[in-house]
Amino acid sequence: MMEGCPGSRMQDLRNKEEISEDESGKRKSQLGQWPIQLHLVSPVAPYYEKADVLLTADCVAYALADYHKDYLKGRSIAIACPKLDEGQEDYLEKIRSWLEDSNINTLTVMIMQVPCCMGLVGLARQALEISKRKVPIKSIVISLKGDILSEEWI
Amino acid sequence: MENKAGMEKYLNQGIKDVILEFPEIGDILNEYNIGCVTCNVGSCLLKDIVKIHALPPEQEDELLSRIAEIIYPGIALVKPKIEKRHQYQPKGIKYSPPVRKLVDEHILIKRWLALIPRITEKLDIQENWGRELIINGIDFMRFYADKFHHAKEEDILFKYFNENLDIIKSMYLDHEAGRSHVRAVAQALENKDKEAVVKHLIEYKNLLKEHIKKEDEILYPWMDRGFSIKQIGELFDKFNKAEEQMNKDILEKLKRFITKTEEQQMKRKRIKQEVLK
Repeated sequence: MMEGCPGSRMQDLRNKEEISEDESGKRKSQLGQWPIQLHLVSPVAPYYEKADVLLTADCVAYALADYHKDYLKGRSIAIACPKLDEGQEDYLEKIRSWLEDSNINTLTVMIMQVPCCMGLVGLARQALEISKRKVPIKSIVISLKGDILSEEWI
Repeated sequence: MENKAGMEKYLNQGIKDVILEFPEIGDILNEYNIGCVTCNVGSCLLKDIVKIHALPPEQEDELLSRIAEIIYPGIALVKPKIEKRHQYQPKGIKYSPPVRKLVDEHILIKRWLALIPRITEKLDIQENWGRELIINGIDFMRFYADKFHHAKEEDILFKYFNENLDIIKSMYLDHEAGRSHVRAVAQALENKDKEAVVKHLIEYKNLLKEHIKKEDEILYPWMDRGFSIKQIGELFDKFNKAEEQMNKDILEKLKRFITKTEEQQMKRKRIKQEVLK
């Protein structure tokens, strides 16, 4: 049966069973900067200097419950959508600038499992190829249910 | 291979453009439950779409062949391949980028180790070629294997761990034993003692072969599991800086020595085979 593109196919992920998790207490935001959208950020902002940078596809933080605690904490970020955002050549230049001008320590690209998200990893790979300075780049793929499907160095 | 290059172009093109040009490809994708036709964005690359749907290999081959047949009908094609760099089911050991550098250096060292039995078989240290071969080999073991590779481990990598751990101590002992064999080879060459040259080269080979196996399969994966992302970045940077300090001409010369020696050995083997015919 034809089910359409996984990137935009309707899927009902609501829990059918009540899961008893302790959700009491308040958690602190780990966001340490503003802005965060890749078109809006300056790649040479001080919080990128020698930082471990997280380039996150827009949908990831909604799917991954512990995004703040497990990934955002201690890192600088930018968010982008490789499918819908225009001006991806500007994205490429900004990523290159992170590597060369801000001397970032590492880059982690977090994407959803849908095929269109691979474009963000592709941009990071391209930036690494054209950059004179190399840094370790990791890609992390998240399922629609918020599980980590893979963590891989590229 | 114009059609192969052409296929590469389509594999790297957004699916909407591919389907616009070849509407039948949309129908074929539908048959494999890949529903791109209805997507009004269509910016995903054809290769990413095929890869992410993780079809069984035979189905993926069939799909790619059918797409190729639509693009280049009736032309015998080199079957298009999708590079499997992002498989979601990782197999084997995956190293972090800095550790990968060390594993890659092991490959060149292992090529030298593989040459040792062959070069010692007919070695003549009374002749210039024989002496030169061993002198170059000593240079490789001293500068590439030790000052370049082992130094990165001892001065950088091992510092991230408790150096009193048995596994780290045993690596240091292996390095020391290796150095002592290299010194013994140099001494034996000076004494024109061929037997001792061969003995220590073979012992070096046996030692390093086991040492590299332990590092590649046990030590490095264990270390990699413990590194934080910050440490991975630092380690990569420190390795780069250490590499920049090494004389690139010497490193290149040593790499050329291995390749040239391999070629000479291959030539010798071919001549031997010809003679035995």
